[in-house]
Amino acid sequence: MGENEGFINYELQEFKLFEPLFKWARKKSLWIVAFCTGCGGIEIPPLATARYDFERFGIMPNPAPRMADLFLITGYVTPKTLKRIIVTYEMMQDPKYVLAHGSCPINGGVYWDSYNVVKQLDKYIPVDVAIAGCMPRPEAVMDGIMEIMRKIESGEANGWKRYRENYEYYRKNQDKLFGEGWREKEAKRWLAWI
Amino acid sequence: MFAWKLVLEAIGMLIYATFIGFIFMGIERKAMARIQRRIGPPIYQPIIDTLKLLGKKESVSHGFIYDFGPVFALGASITALLFIPMGNFQLFSNNADLIVVAYLLEVPMLGIMLGAMSSGNPYSGLGVQRGLLTMVAMQLPYGLAIIALVQHWGTFKLSQLVALQQLQGWSITVPALALAFIVFDIVFQALLGLEPFDIITAPAEISMGPMVEYGGKQAAILFTQHAIQLFAETAFFAVLFLGGASNLLDLFLKQLLVLFIAIFVASIYPRFTIDQAAKFFWKWPTIIGIVAVLLTM
Repeated sequence: MGENEGFINYELQEFKLFEPLFKWARKKSLWIVAFCTGCGGIEIPPLATARYDFERFGIMPNPAPRMADLFLITGYVTPKTLKRIIVTYEMMQDPKYVLAHGSCPINGGVYWDSYNVVKQLDKYIPVDVAIAGCMPRPEAVMDGIMEIMRKIESGEANGWKRYRENYEYYRKNQDKLFGEGWREKEAKRWLAWI
Repeated sequence: MFAWKLVLEAIGMLIYATFIGFIFMGIERKAMARIQRRIGPPIYQPIIDTLKLLGKKESVSHGFIYDFGPVFALGASITALLFIPMGNFQLFSNNADLIVVAYLLEVPMLGIMLGAMSSGNPYSGLGVQRGLLTMVAMQLPYGLAIIALVQHWGTFKLSQLVALQQLQGWSITVPALALAFIVFDIVFQALLGLEPFDIITAPAEISMGPMVEYGGKQAAILFTQHAIQLFAETAFFAVLFLGGASNLLDLFLKQLLVLFIAIFVASIYPRFTIDQAAKFFWKWPTIIGIVAVLLTM
């Protein structure tokens, strides 16, 4: 965290040859950060259990953000949660994908006039796929995950690249919402070991 | 003169063990899914996971020891593997290789802990504490089971153990050693880190414990290490109690049997808390172990 120059080394030339293999592996093994915001988290148990069973596509909920690939934003995002979301997103390692779940991260949903809900998530972290609906049914979430798999295959799911390239833009929006230096003041307190 | 044949055999064995270890991990996930009436991932899923982790474009490091821990664990697993007689292959052999393997199989946990502690994450620290406590708790029944075995067969040498079992019947056909088998099977759950004793990487409580800071290439090394460890532990079990094996297919079937016992136990039991696990280990397995040792005297 914190450094914003000299880190654009994400296209490793040595591994260009294996890139199709890695792409296939990334598609087939998406690990979800077990981080639930709002009410959408309740849609995850039906997905994980016998009825829809996302493990047959290699998807697995994983509590450690360092190992995870897919970040499900399940429901409305308040500024307090958004701080945690940004820190968790930055802890995830590089090919990482964000799936916004429900109408709230898109435009606020039913909280469109609330003073304490972040209306548009896309301004703070890049979103790869958004599912509309309040709440989206597990079928819709499954469809969104399929869409992410398709985008990984075709290389369109490039949120992590956009985050690196437009870091100043995202950083500016985040600082506008939370005030300058929120990372040093607050995030440092939760993650003292970094 | 350099023994080329032996080196090639060792490398071939290593590749075979890694591959079969990954397949065992896949079988574990698939069988658990089938027991829960899910379809489950394909059995080559752990290979895909490892490939994905290797293909990560960023890797975070917390210093030299953090990177060294997984390598240390992997090395210990490989060394343990080369001491175990598999078919007619055994690279290293000495008069007390049973003790060497029994302890080499626990060294990887120490390696992971070494790396995890240096990351400074409080969850890692908590996981390491729990891991050390489990290790202390399971040493006693583990030792008793091995003492009973050694006292009955009168040898510390694994290849001789296999030969004796092929002459006089498997270890589990001896009543005293059947008790030792039960003790060893309980300890085996903790060695594999499976359900009643998965208090080290309790995913819902302390978010993967020691593994929480690992990601990318270090996690891929840990996955490979886990595969080899799984192969070595099941092979060790088969050699000690199920009469060893004369060829790899025989060994594979016996390993599968041992693995399925572990999976079935794991899929029906919930997790012990730390104090319950320690109390359990020092009570029933210890009592059965002492009875087994007394019977073999």
